[in-house]
Amino acid sequence: MPALAPVSGSLEAAAARVAALLAGAGAGAGLADRTLSALEFEATVIPHPLQRTAPPADVWAVDGGQALVADARCLQVVATRASRVRFHEGACVLEDEGELRAQVLAGAEERAAALAALGLADMAADTPVDVNLLRDRWEWEAVERSVEEAEPGGLVLVDGDLLPDWRIPSSFLGRVLGRAAERAILVAGITKHSSLSRGGAPLVGQLELEAAATLGPRALWWATIARTKATATEPATEAAALQVVAARLDPDARFAFRVDLPAGADPATALGAVSALCDDAAFPGYPYPLAVADRLAACPGWVRQEAALRLDELLAQAGVAPEVRERAFADRHRLMERA
Amino acid sequence: MTPPAPPRGRLYGRNVLEGVFRAGPDEDLFLGELLVAVDDVTSRRYLFRVVDVTYGTEHREPGWAERVAGTMLADDARGEPGAHPLYEQGRRTYRAAECRCLGYLTPEGDGAGGDGASLLRGGGVWAPPGGGIVFRKPKSLPTQFSRVVAPEAADFEFLRTRMGDLSIGRLRSGETTVDFPVGIPGASLASHVGVFATTGMGKSNLVQVLAGQALQAQGRYGLLLVDPHGEYRTALARHPWAGERLRTYAARRLPNTSTLRVSLAELTVDDLRTAYEWSRPQEEALFELERHYRTEGLSWMLAFSQVDDLPGFRDVDLGNRVALNTLQVVHRRARRIVELPCVATDPSVSTGGAVVGDLTGGKVVLCDVSGLGSTEEVLVASFLARRVLEHWSGAYLDDAELHERLPVVAIVLEEAQRVLSSNRDRESNVFPRLAREGRKFKVGLCAVTQQPKLLDSELLSQFNTFFILGLADEKDRNILRSSSKQDLSALGPEIQTLMPGECLIANLAAPFAVPARIHLYDDVVRSAVPPPTPRLTARPNVAALVD
Repeated sequence: MPALAPVSGSLEAAAARVAALLAGAGAGAGLADRTLSALEFEATVIPHPLQRTAPPADVWAVDGGQALVADARCLQVVATRASRVRFHEGACVLEDEGELRAQVLAGAEERAAALAALGLADMAADTPVDVNLLRDRWEWEAVERSVEEAEPGGLVLVDGDLLPDWRIPSSFLGRVLGRAAERAILVAGITKHSSLSRGGAPLVGQLELEAAATLGPRALWWATIARTKATATEPATEAAALQVVAARLDPDARFAFRVDLPAGADPATALGAVSALCDDAAFPGYPYPLAVADRLAACPGWVRQEAALRLDELLAQAGVAPEVRERAFADRHRLMERA
Repeated sequence: MTPPAPPRGRLYGRNVLEGVFRAGPDEDLFLGELLVAVDDVTSRRYLFRVVDVTYGTEHREPGWAERVAGTMLADDARGEPGAHPLYEQGRRTYRAAECRCLGYLTPEGDGAGGDGASLLRGGGVWAPPGGGIVFRKPKSLPTQFSRVVAPEAADFEFLRTRMGDLSIGRLRSGETTVDFPVGIPGASLASHVGVFATTGMGKSNLVQVLAGQALQAQGRYGLLLVDPHGEYRTALARHPWAGERLRTYAARRLPNTSTLRVSLAELTVDDLRTAYEWSRPQEEALFELERHYRTEGLSWMLAFSQVDDLPGFRDVDLGNRVALNTLQVVHRRARRIVELPCVATDPSVSTGGAVVGDLTGGKVVLCDVSGLGSTEEVLVASFLARRVLEHWSGAYLDDAELHERLPVVAIVLEEAQRVLSSNRDRESNVFPRLAREGRKFKVGLCAVTQQPKLLDSELLSQFNTFFILGLADEKDRNILRSSSKQDLSALGPEIQTLMPGECLIANLAAPFAVPARIHLYDDVVRSAVPPPTPRLTARPNVAALVD
């Protein structure tokens, strides 16, 4: 009696599909990025050995964090911050967790106000505003400042890819990267968990296994994956052009990461320098300055609670009755969980 | 302005009796270290004792530290040590010190919540404005995140009056010796002292130091030291006060000693029962013999030991009331006792009287019983202890004035578990009686043992002073914890890690178990001020008196 096919919608069916994708049975062997189509992928991806060089004297790292402070669903108060860290000659000389910026997300009026507060030209008036846009905007503002403050020859590391939220005009990115090029600053984005795929399966994981087989289990390597392409609507300026690579940056790194570099950068040279920052015993393979920026930018529970308490105080001072505040922002899901 | 003491850490957690503070990853913290939490809000200074030190990290991911260690270990294995440094270790890791709060220092008269602001001078430095500082048991919580600093000399001043006149060492904070003398009041000898340590931890040195202090005490205290190993005779003789205050008796011929001879007439059946294990029939045989001979003490033993025809003696003299094999055991032991070199058959010989006389004069009496067997040594100790107790209790009951004048006396007994264990006959054994009743007569026991776990816990609870040196056995530590007059519950690791010469003193005088480093006896001898030389009297110049 033949085996029955798993029922669609069942966990068995999902597992069968995932197994097929991981086994390379996806539609073609093409490269893709689930979140972005503005990339031109390489025909073949070949890992190359990477030589670790000396770290740059001046290294900056930028990361953004966010928290939902109050949630009435139709009305939300969110907070974001962008943190910066500077390592100079190997020593941490700046830890700036960044100002906590609060923003009301509600109807059209609040959206307009939020857009205006972003201070970006070239944004359509009907651009939707959410916490991702807010966080990315101020994170890139911090990148911009870091590019200005870094010493020539320095490095600015960004948590995530170098493609900001789609609503941020590419002209802004072009301006930042152009200024970096002028000042001989390398900007590199490190994505810990990328959505790059090949044949529907996670690409970086595949490359890790392939490189271990061809170059050795402790090899440092890099592989070009894609470059940004010009589109009819948003032609990439020369300065904003990027290349996307995957790289394993330490012999003991458990994982390789996606690294975004300016198109004009020499990957081996740039990654060799980045690799020199990836030898921390706690996080082999990940730039330590970015780990510090990540810690600073994180908005843990207590930060959210502090902000919520402060907001409640301010609402009380504004004359909002306690029961109104309570009914507006009570977490009704939690109430149900208690029941 | 005196700069404030550099902080060793910041207090962050726990409760009134316990504290935990954070220190830098390189802060060298020791078990038993004494530290002060400076409460700038109340101006109190909380005294803490470190009872454990652990690692801490800013990273909350499970297994973070293990992973870091694994990475470094792998580097080592590859011959690449340091290939993966831990960046900013000083910020990412720390040490957390668990402490017990010993109490706090506050101005006299400053009740709870009192304003002690006047105590803070010059950047928060403790500067008491002339008024007295009192130490109080912990009953309040220091302000969270108070600075934790090294103690200052003034922080221990409250202890000075409680350390007594028998100095045995200096205050110890972890591995640091503080220039502050510690000891016990001599009067507390009467409420019994225990010296507990495994071999090599400094028991003998401590006993010598204690004896040295008694020698210098101008006759205020008598000390009877029964020395089974002959280890104290030479050392104590070197003390500058030995000529004045030390009397040495020896069970064998030794230079500069008096002969230790105990007459059979002075010994009692109870001494025999303390020293030897007897079965019930054997004890009845002893009483039967005592009744039969009707002599003083154990004088009958001489005659009994000379009996050749034991069956005939049993049938005729004892009326067949004792089994022959029982009588044979008693006879064998009687012969052995009679032949002991320290036992005299002549009833006029009495070392006991001399020893009691020396002790009433506030002397240190050393009885060197080396060469005797363990049982005979207990026999002698039992006899001497009984004589002392009888004399002091007799004075207490019959002549209050005489008793008042008698010095406090302590009987130092090595391997005390032999006579203070729970399975020893309490009725006949003088030592349990001494432990229970001696205090009111001003007679104390100083029990020295490596195995406090073998001591009777009820008897141990009568001991008000413990000198605890290094003890490896947890059972030993446990019984001391349950019997100590101070809370030792958290001090197990510290006791376990005490080095030779380091000890904890727990008694009623001090508000907590005081960590000490015991003086080296040689240093005590070197630094002791000798007794004043007797002034030579000039021969009278008679001619000058004659005109």
